[in-house]
Amino acid sequence: MTLWPRSSVAKKFLNAVTGIGLLLFVIVHLSENLLLLTGNPDDYNRWTHFLFSFGPLLTVIELGLAAFFLVHIGSALMVYWDKLKARPSGYSVYRSAGWTSRQTLSSQTMIYTGLVLLAFVIWHVITFRFGPHYETVIDGVPMRDLHKLVVEVFSNPVNVALYVAVMVFLGLHLRHGFWSALQSLGAYHPRWTPLWYTGGVLVALVLALGFIVIPVWVYYYL
Amino acid sequence: MAVAMKLDSKAPGGPLESKWTRHKNQLKLVSPTNKRKYTILVVGTGLAGASAAASLAELGYNVKAFCIQDSPRRAHSIAAQGGINAAKNYKNDGDSVWRLFYDTIKGGDYRAREANVYRLAELSVNIIDQCVAQGVPFAREYGGLLDTRSFGGALVERTFYARGQTGQQLLLGAYSAMMRQVDAGRVALYPRREMLDLVVINGQARGIVCRNLITGELEPYVGDAVVLCTGGYGNAYFLATYAKNSNATAIWRCHKRGALFANPCFTQIHPTCIPVTGDYQSKLTLMSESLRNDGRVWVPKKKGDTRPPNEIPEDERDYFLERKYPSYGNLAPRDIASRAVKAVCDEGRGVGASGRAVYLDFSDTIREKGIDYIKEQYGNLFEMYQHITGEDPYKVPMRIYPAIHYTMGGLWVDYNLMSTIPGLFVLGEANFSDHGANRLGASALMQGLADGYFIIPYTIGDYFANTTLPKVTTDHSAFKDSLAEVHQWLTKLLSIQGEKTVLELHRELGMILWDYVGMARNAQGLQTAIEKIRKLREEFWNNLRIPGDANMLNKNLEMAGRVADFMELGELMAIDALHREESCGAHFREEYQTPDGEALRNDERFCYVAAWEYTGDISKPELHTEPLQFEFVTPTVRSYK
Amino acid sequence: MSKKMTLHLRVWRQPNARTPGAFVTYTVKDVSPDMSLLELLDVLNEQLIKQGELPVEFDSDCREGICGTCGFLVNGVAHGPKRGRTACQQYVRDFKDGETVTLEPFRAKAFPVIKDLVVDRSAFDRIIAAGGYISVNTGSAPDANSIPIPKDIAEQAFDAAACIGCGACVAACPNASASLFVSAKIAHLALLPQGQPERIRRVLRMVEQMDREGFGDCSNHGECEAVCPKSISIKTIALMRREYLRALWSR
Repeated sequence: MTLWPRSSVAKKFLNAVTGIGLLLFVIVHLSENLLLLTGNPDDYNRWTHFLFSFGPLLTVIELGLAAFFLVHIGSALMVYWDKLKARPSGYSVYRSAGWTSRQTLSSQTMIYTGLVLLAFVIWHVITFRFGPHYETVIDGVPMRDLHKLVVEVFSNPVNVALYVAVMVFLGLHLRHGFWSALQSLGAYHPRWTPLWYTGGVLVALVLALGFIVIPVWVYYYL
Repeated sequence: MAVAMKLDSKAPGGPLESKWTRHKNQLKLVSPTNKRKYTILVVGTGLAGASAAASLAELGYNVKAFCIQDSPRRAHSIAAQGGINAAKNYKNDGDSVWRLFYDTIKGGDYRAREANVYRLAELSVNIIDQCVAQGVPFAREYGGLLDTRSFGGALVERTFYARGQTGQQLLLGAYSAMMRQVDAGRVALYPRREMLDLVVINGQARGIVCRNLITGELEPYVGDAVVLCTGGYGNAYFLATYAKNSNATAIWRCHKRGALFANPCFTQIHPTCIPVTGDYQSKLTLMSESLRNDGRVWVPKKKGDTRPPNEIPEDERDYFLERKYPSYGNLAPRDIASRAVKAVCDEGRGVGASGRAVYLDFSDTIREKGIDYIKEQYGNLFEMYQHITGEDPYKVPMRIYPAIHYTMGGLWVDYNLMSTIPGLFVLGEANFSDHGANRLGASALMQGLADGYFIIPYTIGDYFANTTLPKVTTDHSAFKDSLAEVHQWLTKLLSIQGEKTVLELHRELGMILWDYVGMARNAQGLQTAIEKIRKLREEFWNNLRIPGDANMLNKNLEMAGRVADFMELGELMAIDALHREESCGAHFREEYQTPDGEALRNDERFCYVAAWEYTGDISKPELHTEPLQFEFVTPTVRSYK
Repeated sequence: MSKKMTLHLRVWRQPNARTPGAFVTYTVKDVSPDMSLLELLDVLNEQLIKQGELPVEFDSDCREGICGTCGFLVNGVAHGPKRGRTACQQYVRDFKDGETVTLEPFRAKAFPVIKDLVVDRSAFDRIIAAGGYISVNTGSAPDANSIPIPKDIAEQAFDAAACIGCGACVAACPNASASLFVSAKIAHLALLPQGQPERIRRVLRMVEQMDREGFGDCSNHGECEAVCPKSISIKTIALMRREYLRALWSR
């Protein structure tokens, strides 16, 4: 028997589990970032300070998150590689038969939107996590002023445009990714599956729009 | 004239009910260790072939299984729709092995062996058990138990079914059992191979020669026995409900190597097929007999009534099957129903553009039981009808007409299913054994599986235990001769380079057979057919054009070989029909009918199996007969009134 | 009598597995709209033979949509424009008069082209051999009614068992995955009580064989379901995944 993570079913299982994990992270991350919109810079800085106070535990969480990313990307690349191998020469004419096919722009571009998101995540971590260290003092406690950094970064229209564009890719990725992850885990129900297939659109829209609002807001109002 | 061969059916004596049991007890056995030393060549992987290959391999024999399709799962058994009979009596409606036996032998118009038919009825119950255990998803009732329905020629509900795809599900069951043996290394699979010759050494069947349909290579295979499960020869008529690749080549080549061909004129016409629409048509599609459970067959009372069916009032409709056969009504057996359909069309009361069709109307059932009932019972058939005709049968009645569907005739076999060539066994539709002159609906699946699962595993062992089989290899001169002959024959076909294609010539042959050796036959017509076939055969060998060569995938070459054989078999069918001066079952001679147009048997002269021997001259076959004795039932006039 | 039609057929011609192929366009004039697509190919082939050219080879057998022998891409869709049907159940009336129709063989590494539109699908047989069965020797079965099966379960099993093994799912899948074919068989047997004893071994072995044949992985595009002539649902794929995870768990 081949090593089980190599099997086609397991690859998708790993991809789905990590995908759902990353989705949860993205939801938490958006909720955190909405603190940027409270009007008081201290709200955001207090929260990030709380996170930094985890110390080594935060590093463990971050490494865990990185591992999720790696497994998600790794399994996706394997699926993509298998796809290339499985049909070495393509069709001269090919089109989807239409519904009930779930083939969409979103499903066809998962690998590309995924790679864009990967590049973005690297840029994002360098910019913010390992970016310039500004200090502020709130209630007598010195802490990192990340709010200032965010405002600084998003005062540049190029960064805002880039960020917004990437969030469109995130939306595209989630549109197929959300329901696909559930299907990969074997969750299928005659009544609920159509719901979460459509629900994928909602999840994608809410998250993408949520993330788009922040830089735009920062750019215009802060 | 040579002395006619004595045909020993080997049917055991004694009481009917225990014939098979006693016979089995007397059959010799082969020890488990010795079974491994035998190789069996199974040709064809339909219900009979796949079930035989699986069962023989389970016993420990080495099996080589051959099929012309790209996968054994595609054999034409897959297209059987309606169901499979079994005397389970789950419905408590009075069914029994005896009744199934009686219905079958009566349905066959008393032209089958009592012992065989009884065994078939007896084994029918085991088949259902076996198939359910394999995971065949038969229709069930809400309580979770198996459902049954009724079929033509029976007054009980003994037909088990899986929607309208019973054949598919049974075949996939047998196929999966065989694939399990492939995995176990007991069955070696040879798809896309066509058997073109039987190799007989010292009077025993010891091998076959196949053409690899991809490379064109001729391949010899050695075995200790050959089991033919290659189906029927209805495609001789060109337009038939058979798959395009169904053919008689394997049985015909065996016939030419010495196997007797029994009752070739017994060809079944199925009453409910979708009518022909154009001259380009490549095949006919059956609408399952099960539809006659809920559909009513009618034509307008008036000749040439061109009103749409729903505008014809009830009292101007002739439900002719119900009128002529009040007790069986729309469920009259196939031969009877087909002739009745032909008769009303001949009277000029047929419907549709061609006038060669009758209505099969579901509106009464839809009114009584609702459209959902029809959808559940026949959904896929209705869909299929709509695909082909572009008409919605939920709204307008179906139009149907008889078509060639099955061949009762085939290679002659004894009670052990062995042909007149020792070591050559013939199973399923390829043999002649159990259906007499007419097969009842839902009995073909039963016979194929009974032969493969439950008969051949016993009888082949007895053959091995009683036979000395010297070791042979493909180096034997008989193999070399056969290879050379087949090669020469293919070369000859390719070298004609005339004007007509295989399709054209096949279509012409089909027309002759349909017109003169079809639903109604007479002496003059049969003589005309024989002359026409001879002429056409000559034209075939002088004016055929096959593209390409033998060393490639060449479907025209494959078809040419098959049509060449049909050209010879077609003549034998006509000769047999001409010699049988009586009407029985599907064989209807216009000269021999009752005043009200029913078949008139002649038991004094023709209560026998006609088995023809190839003499080297196609036009001069030699007749051997196996008299049929009826100890347990008395042949009567078959009445379904 | 309905109006005659003319169609142009752009067909993939490839002499054998080793030689590269190319498209050739042929015209078939004045055909009946009631003709099936395969009958149209028959007519084209008659034309080609008369002209001394090699006919277009394609697989077909029952011509009523049940054997699974025929199949190729028609204008980019496996089996053709009409849903829930095989190539042999497509009709000339389903196309426009004067239309150019592209016919291309199923393409996948696991389905190598043999000639023209004929491909080798024996990989499917090897997958079934790996476990697509219930091990019951002939003669050892209990009475058919000894195990009741609820009607809806039997119906669901049937829905999956209706697979004809045509390979359209693989052909249409952007990943050339065989998941629908494999899962249909797994679902058929896993739903039935008779299939229980072997379910772990079955799913592990069949998935392993599927992967070994070189099919791609399933990315849930669902294109397979849309082209399946028997409309088998991708819920069987979800079921296969549950079976697989369960098998890993209990191994």
